[in-house]
Amino acid sequence: MNQTPNMQARQTSRLSRLVNIGVPYFWLGLFFLLPFVIVLQISLSEPALAQPPYRLLWEWVEEGLLQIQINLQNFMLIWEDDIYLYAFLNSLWVALVCTLICLLLGYPMAYAIATARERHRIPLLMLIILPFWTSFLIRVYAWIGILNTNGLLNHFLLWLGVIDTPLQILHTQTAVYIGVVYSYLPFMILPLYANLTRLDPTLLEAAADLGCRPLRAFMRVTLPLSMPGIVAGSMLVFIPVVGEFVIPDLLGSPGSLMVGKLMWTEFFSNKDWPLASALAIVLLGLLVIPFVLMQRLQQNLDEGRT
Amino acid sequence: MKRRSWPLLGILAFGYAFLYVPILLLILYSFNESRLVTVWSGFSTKWYGELLHNQQLLDAAWLSVRIAATNATVAVVLGTLAANALVRQGRFRGRTGFELLLMAPLVMPDVIIGLSLLLLFVAMQQTIGWPDGRGFTTIAIAHITFSMAYVAVVVRSRLAQMDGSLEEAAMDLGARPLGVYLQITLPLIAPALLSGWLLAFTLSLDDLVIASFVSGPGSTTLPMVVYSSVRMGVSPQINALATLIVLIVAIAVLIAGFTMRRGPNR
Amino acid sequence: MAVPADRRLLEPWQDPKAAPYVRIERVTKQFGDVYAVDDVSLNIFKGEFFSLLGSSGCGKSTLLRLLAGLEYPTTGRIFIDGVDVTQVPPYSRPVNMMFQSYALFPHMSVEQNIEFGLKQERLPRRERAERIAEMLDLLKIAPLRKRRPDQISGGQRQRVALARSLAKHPKLLLLDEPLGALDKRLRENTQFELVNLQERLGITFVTVTHDQEEAMTMSTRIAVMEAGQIMQVDTPTAIYEFPTCRFVAEFIGSVNLFEGKVMASEGNEILVEAGAGFTIRMRSYQPHPLGTPVTVAIRPEKMRLCAQYDPEAVNQIEGVVEDIAYLGDVSIYRIRIDEGRLVEMTLTNIQPRTEQALTWEQKVAIEWSPTSGVVLTE
Repeated sequence: MNQTPNMQARQTSRLSRLVNIGVPYFWLGLFFLLPFVIVLQISLSEPALAQPPYRLLWEWVEEGLLQIQINLQNFMLIWEDDIYLYAFLNSLWVALVCTLICLLLGYPMAYAIATARERHRIPLLMLIILPFWTSFLIRVYAWIGILNTNGLLNHFLLWLGVIDTPLQILHTQTAVYIGVVYSYLPFMILPLYANLTRLDPTLLEAAADLGCRPLRAFMRVTLPLSMPGIVAGSMLVFIPVVGEFVIPDLLGSPGSLMVGKLMWTEFFSNKDWPLASALAIVLLGLLVIPFVLMQRLQQNLDEGRT
Repeated sequence: MKRRSWPLLGILAFGYAFLYVPILLLILYSFNESRLVTVWSGFSTKWYGELLHNQQLLDAAWLSVRIAATNATVAVVLGTLAANALVRQGRFRGRTGFELLLMAPLVMPDVIIGLSLLLLFVAMQQTIGWPDGRGFTTIAIAHITFSMAYVAVVVRSRLAQMDGSLEEAAMDLGARPLGVYLQITLPLIAPALLSGWLLAFTLSLDDLVIASFVSGPGSTTLPMVVYSSVRMGVSPQINALATLIVLIVAIAVLIAGFTMRRGPNR
Repeated sequence: MAVPADRRLLEPWQDPKAAPYVRIERVTKQFGDVYAVDDVSLNIFKGEFFSLLGSSGCGKSTLLRLLAGLEYPTTGRIFIDGVDVTQVPPYSRPVNMMFQSYALFPHMSVEQNIEFGLKQERLPRRERAERIAEMLDLLKIAPLRKRRPDQISGGQRQRVALARSLAKHPKLLLLDEPLGALDKRLRENTQFELVNLQERLGITFVTVTHDQEEAMTMSTRIAVMEAGQIMQVDTPTAIYEFPTCRFVAEFIGSVNLFEGKVMASEGNEILVEAGAGFTIRMRSYQPHPLGTPVTVAIRPEKMRLCAQYDPEAVNQIEGVVEDIAYLGDVSIYRIRIDEGRLVEMTLTNIQPRTEQALTWEQKVAIEWSPTSGVVLTE
């Protein structure tokens, strides 16, 4: 073949484009996007005593005649039965409360790390990330021993004389809050830290030079400029917590349901795949808004940086 | 120039205590002779002995490590490709969708990922006969799907920081695109690939929910064993296991910190 | 005018029969709606030290990248040594480039950096070793051979980058702001070294710079660029003494510009009316019809002080000293000649400053000769 060098170059670049974009795209399409289509389809079908335990949406009734049955019962059930509505509201509430606590605790921590001496920053940050590398499950488990009625915290409080009968903390909503904040705090601190270190310190010096007192300078300059970090951190906590399973299962009370746990139960205990799918679809619908919001923000930041 | 602010330091200290006290207590009580967490009845290493003879747990750990290593390796390849696409291909058609699809697993609740992948595997088995049963392969596929997003984030930021003229210089000196990638780009992003690999490995080792959905009979991973034993209540064996994990992580971090400090490009 | 034969060798651009070594033919490069390089044609001859000079964003770097093959032209063609390289990718071009950031590979030693290009060529090991030794020797960096780029100084990095790009013996060496990252002292020494190196190797250099002094010292010829176009291509002397347009006159050094109309033409001199009762007599190398609007450009150092103002004398003008800037070797005086106009004059400080003749608010007369400026029509 008689090719000019540049034609070869263009073919190489086309090939690399195909590999770099195509392969991950294909994988995600097959194992991330397609599954949702199937979930949607099963959420519209009826449960059945079969393997797998649901009826297909379509059937070949006669030769060449396709019958499609759409079943909205699962969604009706979710809407009508208080349990599900309560579980959704409770999940959102827990996520909201925990996000706020993470923010209130995480912001000062991120700020303290970002304003620490340069050589201290990385070790301090490593200490935030480190627990993340140990098992999540085991870290949640650690709290069982602490929060138990005859656990370490109660013993400590009794010894201090603050209380005279042990408190019931394990298997309450409080335990869920503690567990979630404990597990998700690093996700709040990291984006906040990244944002705060990027802030130009001369801005604060300029504010001080213009007669602004430190607290006011913080409220007027630092806080507004760290908004992207606050939003990113909050989304990283809020979105996954809404669907959290392990923490409410191990630390929460059996009565206060969250969607993640409910889905698990419907799926594994009740073998109601269509209902579990419908729950997943509703949950997904709830999470799309904050997710798209976060993605937008990220894109704006990327464009602002270049 | 900086004044120390005591309230701020107080919160920082509280935060670190909050993060580390539970872990330290776990470690402490792994050496407790008594089965009860609240009573300290003397120093003992018997739970470590029991742990090492718990065949079910050891089998599960070995399966988890194999899955984690497979997952990390494939996720690094796919995540790096995706990062290349995002940093080097400029604006291509479907870029927004690509980014959305790539980043969604970062925040998607585990229950949704697990459920949807299981339903996919069931449907695939029915229609094309693959995968035949569930276990190692299906768990690895599920883990790769969400791990690659983490790898992509890490590699992407490293690629974006890289001086683009390095690659141009290599090309100017006669290296073809593939040669440039292998001789210049890959060595320079190697630290990111390593941390991406470790991250993916840890994520996989840590996952309970997704694995529970997509595993089959006979393929029980370590977190699944831990979960079922934890549901029964406190077990000192799990404390011993936790201590071992913390030990391994601490050693790995020390080694990483040490090599990074000595390395040529920080 | 006829050019003597020996000058043709030194200044091949004067010889109509000389074949250019690099030929840029009507090249345009568009990025979206922006014309980074706009219909540029340029010939560069073998052994030249050619500079592209302009402010940032004028398209000089894009032109250099087009020569390197890092960008492809939207339209137009590029020839190097008679071969059309317009579509040839960078790795197949007989051209090497020294990047502004030097782009030294951080994970390789000095030696490995220099070897990189030779390895791509699949040169045998022995030849590579010879070439490396030659380069280390040439740039006097042999003691650094095992060091990594982050272990050497900025000036040393510059030498390594130069060694790396020269190692392949390119037909053309492109230098993007080669001295931009060096401090002022080092820069001056390096300028002369670069020129010596270029003369010794006989390789054609094309450099991009925004520093006019740098371009003046080093180049055989300079192309002044603005908004993607070449405004003037000439030797440093000609660019300074005989700019062909206002842009070039103002871009290089300082200049006094007087706008006016051609009043009369006497032999090879013209009279320009530049305001009421202010007539300038200038040598003109081309005919100007009467009434043409022109600009007379005179450099500040071409101005002289006269002992006494003589209203009858040619090119003499009276004014008041308004500003004095003392620069050590010279002083710059701004002299107000009427409401709207200031004239800048440079005088060498022969005497110590305390003894200087001129002071603020002093009335002075200045003059210049008809041959010490140019008449611009653009």
